[in-house]
Amino acid sequence: MQPLERLVNLVALLLDARRPLTFDQIRERMPEAYEQEDLDTAKRMFERDKGILRDIGVPIEVVATDVWESEQGYAIAKDEYYLPEIAFTPQEISALFVAAHAGREGSSAEEAVRKLLYGAEGGILVGVGGFALATDGVSDRRLTAAAEAVAAQRSVRFGYRTSRGVEGERRVDAFGLAVRGGSWYLVGMDRERGEIRSFRLSRVSTDIVDEGEGGAPPEGFRAADHVQLGPWGPGEPAERATVAFSPEVAWWATKGLQGAEVLLERPDGWVEVTVPNGPGEGLASWILSFGPDAVALEPEDLRREVVRRLEATLAAR
Amino acid sequence: MPPADRRTAPKASERLRRLLVVVPYLVQHPGTELAEVTRLFGVPEEALVEDLQLLFVSGLPPYGPGDLIDVDIQDGRVWVAMADYFGRPLRLTRSEAVALYLRGAALAAMPDVPEAPALDSALAKLAEGLGPQTLGELPERIQAAVGARTAETLEALRAAVAEHERIRIEYYAASSASTTVREIDPEEVLHAIGNWYVVAWDHRSNEERLFRADRVRSVEPTGKRFEPRGLAGAGRPLYTRGEADAEVRLLLGPEARWVAEYYEIERSEERPGGSLEVAMPAGRLEWAERLVLRLSGAAQVLGPPELNDRVRELARRTRELYG
Repeated sequence: MQPLERLVNLVALLLDARRPLTFDQIRERMPEAYEQEDLDTAKRMFERDKGILRDIGVPIEVVATDVWESEQGYAIAKDEYYLPEIAFTPQEISALFVAAHAGREGSSAEEAVRKLLYGAEGGILVGVGGFALATDGVSDRRLTAAAEAVAAQRSVRFGYRTSRGVEGERRVDAFGLAVRGGSWYLVGMDRERGEIRSFRLSRVSTDIVDEGEGGAPPEGFRAADHVQLGPWGPGEPAERATVAFSPEVAWWATKGLQGAEVLLERPDGWVEVTVPNGPGEGLASWILSFGPDAVALEPEDLRREVVRRLEATLAAR
Repeated sequence: MPPADRRTAPKASERLRRLLVVVPYLVQHPGTELAEVTRLFGVPEEALVEDLQLLFVSGLPPYGPGDLIDVDIQDGRVWVAMADYFGRPLRLTRSEAVALYLRGAALAAMPDVPEAPALDSALAKLAEGLGPQTLGELPERIQAAVGARTAETLEALRAAVAEHERIRIEYYAASSASTTVREIDPEEVLHAIGNWYVVAWDHRSNEERLFRADRVRSVEPTGKRFEPRGLAGAGRPLYTRGEADAEVRLLLGPEARWVAEYYEIERSEERPGGSLEVAMPAGRLEWAERLVLRLSGAAQVLGPPELNDRVRELARRTRELYG
């Protein structure tokens, strides 16, 4: 008898049984599986099968079959085995399917959604257009470790390299996770600094190690509040600036940029736009990325900053 | 333990895991096409048939006439009966549930994803259905932060991918800093490092190209269909290196390190003082010129030598605009 056949039959037997079965009873009901060998070998085979079933998530319980606890029986807890009924709409199940398949092939997310499909209407997933989502170099394992720390409110330790390249070790009470544009951030209490900080998981340089129970997040905590960016980097835009774009790039430069407003289109086709400005030098840098296809018009100090940078580049050897 | 058994054990567990998920679907959906099962469950048809044939001789010990699972495969369709105890699948393991939840949350957080509302409600139902013992505090502790650029043409691109439809697009090409019109055969829509992309065959250059969706200004149907060339595949590099490509090497100071997180880089190496040396492939240097111009003093060009001259020329032309 093939191992797979034996395993299927064992699951069927235990799922169907009304009460726990002892090994002798199992052996008797499955003679082809466990009776050809001598008792010790059969018992070892059964133990190994039990291990395989547990590994794939089949909840096998060992219980006493009589009040004297002289004999042990095996049972599958049905409420733990069976997936509870969850009534997804066709749109919901198809959205989950698309999401699960957006990553690397053969992921746990794919396994998960397959288990949810049984209740779906047949054929609803035909012609579902897919997506692919690449993570920014963060392994599923690391993301899962961070998620589990958050779920169970744990404190964790890990190596971290800041956006400016400074390497160090962090000890953080995991409060929450935030995702922005496909990048994951762990947000929590940085124990050493005594402040809530966010850590981009792609910059974590070691395994995430559990350090025991962590503190609770403050009332009203939202992880996303700690990773918000203004259009030009951290902080809220302070004022507005005016920039002119050449006809070549104008449509793209202004589209999808939050808070951009078109002021006018010049006769030569250039478009003047107001955008949120500052703090910091992000806007000057962004304008320069268009080269001679963009000009900073206002305010004057933005104009000066762009010119200062251009002259520095021209002066460099 | 006999060695033969040790070798087959992991394989048997893999197949069992699969069967315990596929069989409930087949019990609930009599007459499902094998091809659909293959697509939904990611099992090659041959392996599926082999597993189902084995299931046919399995069942409830001691295998009385009414206790064997009934499997019928005809004309590419499959029926499974007499397997009521396999009528519902196994619960999601904790790590499966966490993985699906995270994937769903990440996709729902993307701008312009039409599935987002359905995903949000599906994730809420999943968390509730599985109960707090599976996902713990996770659902309350995950949020999306706004940040990515929107891509209004995403839906049209996706539809063209699904229908294998050739389209005409207006595209802002950063590599040449110009807006062009071209016909493309789009094969996959993917998201990577903060942006949506479409992988396509570009009829203008007669090459495989990757287009950033937010730079696609308009999508027009051509009425033609195409035969996919197999360009798709998640996890592909965002840049396919061509023969004629130059390698741009930059020394990024601490303020410019972000470049390594937003662009496809081939190699990177830490340098003293928090600097990072990176090598990036570039088909044309226009794109690299503009990047270096924007970084100003925060980055240094290590190669190719002509890049420095070109950056200076670009700076001169830009400087003229300021009188």
